[in-house]
Amino acid sequence: MILPTPEQKAQWEEKGYLVFENAIQGEDLKRLQTAFDYWADACKAEWLDRVEAGESVATFYDIPNPLEKDPIFIDIIDYPSYYGALMAFTDHDLILLGPQVRTVAPWPVSYTGWHPDVGQSNPLHIKVQIYVNDVEPGSGEFGFVPGSHKPDAGPYTRPMRQESMPGHKTFPGKAGTAIMFNSCGWHVSMDNHSDTPRKSIILIYEKRTPGRIGPGQFASISDYCQTPERRKLFSLDG
Amino acid sequence: MPRIDAHLHVFTKASAEFPREISDVWPADREEPVEKLLGEMEKHQIDQAVLVQMAGASIANHRYLLQCLREYPNRFLGIGLVPEGHPNPADHMAELTDNTGIIGFRFSTFGGPRDIFAKMDVREFSAYPIWKCAAERDYVLWLYPNAINAHLLPYLIQAFPQVRIVLNHLAVCPGNGKFSWDAFGRPQVQVTGYNLFMHTTYRLARFENVNVHLSGQYAFSGEEFPYKDLAGWHHGLLSGFGAKRLMWATDFPWILEEPGYGKLTTVIEELLPNLSEAELADIMGGNAKRILRFPAL
Repeated sequence: MILPTPEQKAQWEEKGYLVFENAIQGEDLKRLQTAFDYWADACKAEWLDRVEAGESVATFYDIPNPLEKDPIFIDIIDYPSYYGALMAFTDHDLILLGPQVRTVAPWPVSYTGWHPDVGQSNPLHIKVQIYVNDVEPGSGEFGFVPGSHKPDAGPYTRPMRQESMPGHKTFPGKAGTAIMFNSCGWHVSMDNHSDTPRKSIILIYEKRTPGRIGPGQFASISDYCQTPERRKLFSLDG
Repeated sequence: MPRIDAHLHVFTKASAEFPREISDVWPADREEPVEKLLGEMEKHQIDQAVLVQMAGASIANHRYLLQCLREYPNRFLGIGLVPEGHPNPADHMAELTDNTGIIGFRFSTFGGPRDIFAKMDVREFSAYPIWKCAAERDYVLWLYPNAINAHLLPYLIQAFPQVRIVLNHLAVCPGNGKFSWDAFGRPQVQVTGYNLFMHTTYRLARFENVNVHLSGQYAFSGEEFPYKDLAGWHHGLLSGFGAKRLMWATDFPWILEEPGYGKLTTVIEELLPNLSEAELADIMGGNAKRILRFPAL
C-alpha cells in the first residue's frame, strides 16, 4: 500500500484535493479504456430510449452496474496508486458507496453547476475522478475550489458561469489521471466546448459508519472479492 | 404592479365560426370561455393574462383566441401555434401576429438529432425557420420541450440570443408516454423522483433571454395543493434564474375544480415563503409585464 507523503497529507488537509498523474497506466489503462468503450457503446441505445421516456438525464450517461460488467471496474476501486491515500485519510476504515462510469457529451453548457456533495456533518466523503481519455482544458475537465472543504470556508454561491467561481482551479489531464477530492468542497464539471466527449469514472467512498451500505449492495460481485480488505471495502460481510 | 397569469387556455364550443379540434377532454360542446376566466380573475385580483392557443394550430383554429384578444386588448396577450411541418411557418406566424395581440408561438420539438453526441448544426433543425423568424420579428418562443429535445435548446439559444424564451411549467420536459389526464380533467405528467431537469433546462439559466413559468405543479406533484414536494424544484429555479426571470401562471381551466383558481394565486407564497415582497410581486406579474411587454391597464 502506497501511503501518502507528508506533503500530500498537508495538501489534502489544506486544499482538499490530490492529483495522481498516471495513476493508471500501461495495460491496466488499456483494459479500462477498452471495457469503458465497449460497455458505453453497448448501453447507449437503451440510455437514449430512457431519455426519450423522460427517465434518464439527457446530457450524460452512466454505464449501469459497471462492477458486474468487467473486473477492471472492480480493480480500480482499490487501485494501489491512490488506495493508500484513501485508507490513510479514513483511518483505514473505508467503504465504497458506488462508481459512476460516465460519458459526458460536449454541450454549450456544463451539465452541472458548482456544488458540494455533502455538508460538514457527513462522515468524510471522498470522490476519485479518473480520466479515461485525455481531458484538455475546455473539454469538461474537473474544477474544484481549493480549501472550500473546510468548515470555516465560504460562504459560496453558485455563479452563472463555471469560470466565474472565485478561487477555483481546473484539472485538465491525461488518460489515467486520478483526482481525489473531499466532497464537502465545491466542485464542478467545466463546460465542454470541444467535440470530444469526456469519459471518466467517479468513485465514491466514505469513512465507514454502521449500516451505511448493506451486505446486499455489492453481493453480485462477492466472488471477485475474496480478501478481507476487499470484503470490508465493499461491505460484503455486514 | 399588475398581477398577471402568464399561461392559461380559453376555448369555446366547436362551431363553423370557431372551428377547433376536439378530444375526450375538450369535446365539441365543452367551453371554457374568456368570460369565465375574467370572472375568476376579478374574484382573485388578477389583472392580465396570457392566452395560449390549444385545440388546433391552423389559422382558423385561432379565431376564438383572436376574438378574445380583440375584445380585451389591454387584458390579454396571446401565444399561437404553428402546424407541424408547415411549409412556410414565417407566413403563418406573420398572419397571426399582424396587430392581433399574439406575441409568440408555442412548440415542443426542434427537429434536431435525437442523440446529443451527434454533430449539431442548428440550420438543419426543422425548427430553425421558426426561430429565425422569431429573431427577425421579435416573437416570444413558448417552449414545453419533449424530453428527447431538451439537449437541442442551447444550440438554438446560442444562435438566436435575442429571442425571448419562456420555458413552460417549471422547465419540465415530459417523457414520451408519460402524459395522461386525471380524474379532475387535468394533465398529468409522470416524472422521476430525481430532478432530471437540473441537468438540462435548469442549466439554461446562463442565457439571459431564458425565463421560466412557475406553473403546472398539479401535473408533476405526488401531493395535493400546495404541492410541497415541489418546493425544492422552485428553490432550484429561483436559485438559478433569479426572481426576475420567473413567472407565475395557473394553467386555467384545468385547475378550476382542483385545487381551484383562488388557491393557485397563493402557490408561490406557499412554495417560496422567503421571497421578499418585491420578488413576489415580480413573479406574480412584474416579470410578465416587463418581459412580454403587457400594455398599461
